[in-house]
Amino acid sequence: MRRARLVLILGAVIALLGSVGVAMATTGATTGYPQPKVVVPASVSTPYEQRYVLTAVGSGAGIRSGEMKFEFEEGSSPEFLVGISEFYSYSPDGSIETSLFTFYPFTELPGGKGLKAPALKVGASASYGQVTEDGELQMFKIEGNRVKGQIRLHGDGPWPVEFRILSDDESTGGHPPVAKQLPEAEPNNPGWGAEGSEYDGEYELTNAAANPTEKAGTLGAVIGVAQGLGTKGAVISGGSMTVKGEGKPATAEVTVETGGSTRHFTLTKLAWAGDKRTAQVHENGPTSPPVGRLEGTGGQGELKGRLIDGHTVYQVEFKMK
Amino acid sequence: MRTRFFASAALLGVVGVVALAGCGGGGSSSSGSTSASGGGSGDFASSADAACTTANKQIAALGTPKQAEVLKYMETTETVIEKLDGEVQALGATGSAEKAYTEALGKAVITLNHMTNAARNENFDAVREISDELIELNLGELAESAELTVCAEVPVSEA
Repeated sequence: MRRARLVLILGAVIALLGSVGVAMATTGATTGYPQPKVVVPASVSTPYEQRYVLTAVGSGAGIRSGEMKFEFEEGSSPEFLVGISEFYSYSPDGSIETSLFTFYPFTELPGGKGLKAPALKVGASASYGQVTEDGELQMFKIEGNRVKGQIRLHGDGPWPVEFRILSDDESTGGHPPVAKQLPEAEPNNPGWGAEGSEYDGEYELTNAAANPTEKAGTLGAVIGVAQGLGTKGAVISGGSMTVKGEGKPATAEVTVETGGSTRHFTLTKLAWAGDKRTAQVHENGPTSPPVGRLEGTGGQGELKGRLIDGHTVYQVEFKMK
Repeated sequence: MRTRFFASAALLGVVGVVALAGCGGGGSSSSGSTSASGGGSGDFASSADAACTTANKQIAALGTPKQAEVLKYMETTETVIEKLDGEVQALGATGSAEKAYTEALGKAVITLNHMTNAARNENFDAVREISDELIELNLGELAESAELTVCAEVPVSEA
């Protein structure tokens, strides 16, 4: 059933890709998307049936430029929107990569503030699992030909985004202009609190889930590894953290268990502002190259957030013992 | 005289063959204690556990992969489980529990192949999602039902 749905969505994505970017038509390209469970009234969704060009984006997103298009699924009743975007991103080596996302299904933001939809990542080849949820796009109320919003991708963000609506006879020619990079407010106070005594100590994981490998026999190890992958937040079956640093730059040692696999990380550059907490993540000690970030909130002996290690995101909740 | 000699030799040969066949039959019946209720048989269990011992050691030796090592880890694990599947299939499961374990192992090979393909595409969300199918197999539990002690154990990473 899941595979059939994937095939259906892939077909629709391929059809829609043909019309994105410089397409002049605004209807008639999408086919095959299942009717969403939640209906967005046409009066709310119709204004969003547009082509957009990205004009500004949070610098942390690493997106250089992009464009997208929302349109109603052909023949749907009640009508529902499907979106497709093409973003040009900065890769770690400085080159520009193309990322394709579809946005489906749309639902209303609370309080009538706009629309939101999961961002589905579209791969280069139509093999199993090539359309997967990779984040979320929120589009706030349209003001003139501008619309602001925010986007989460790859388990990271959210970052602010701003789009301009393209007129019917306007085209980027497949080369959307470079979007303005919006600076982000980063915590810059050292440590995870004003006093080391607030955060120094031993922590225990409080959001541990059941160990998925218990009844897996020989397959237990590979399940443990696989369950530790992905942007949704890996299933963690255990873990701990030790923070040290009063009187010197604070560091932390983190252990997370996913099934039968145990991973160790060192956190450096601990920083805070208000209840925001961040740190740099290393796999092989504090002097090894950083592999990701920890972003979250904390205070009063608690820390909640996401520990990002490359393609893997660990949702962690720690409490001081 | 010559005819009698050949008749005696032929008789001796027949007796010898019957005697040898009797020995073979005895050996077979003593080791083939298959449980009709679906548990494990001694031969199957010991041979499958021996194969699992090797597989578990090879998997444990892989340790916990870093991000960049996930594909290599998946490829190696797929190879190990594929070999284990071949060895267990060749044992010829008889009881229902042994058959259930063997069938699940075959399914695991296919699922692992899907996971490895997803890893090749750097689609780690898909790797994780597909691994749910491995969890649903409950291979360890099936191994226990088939009285396979080692096959029920989760390999413990050496690193």
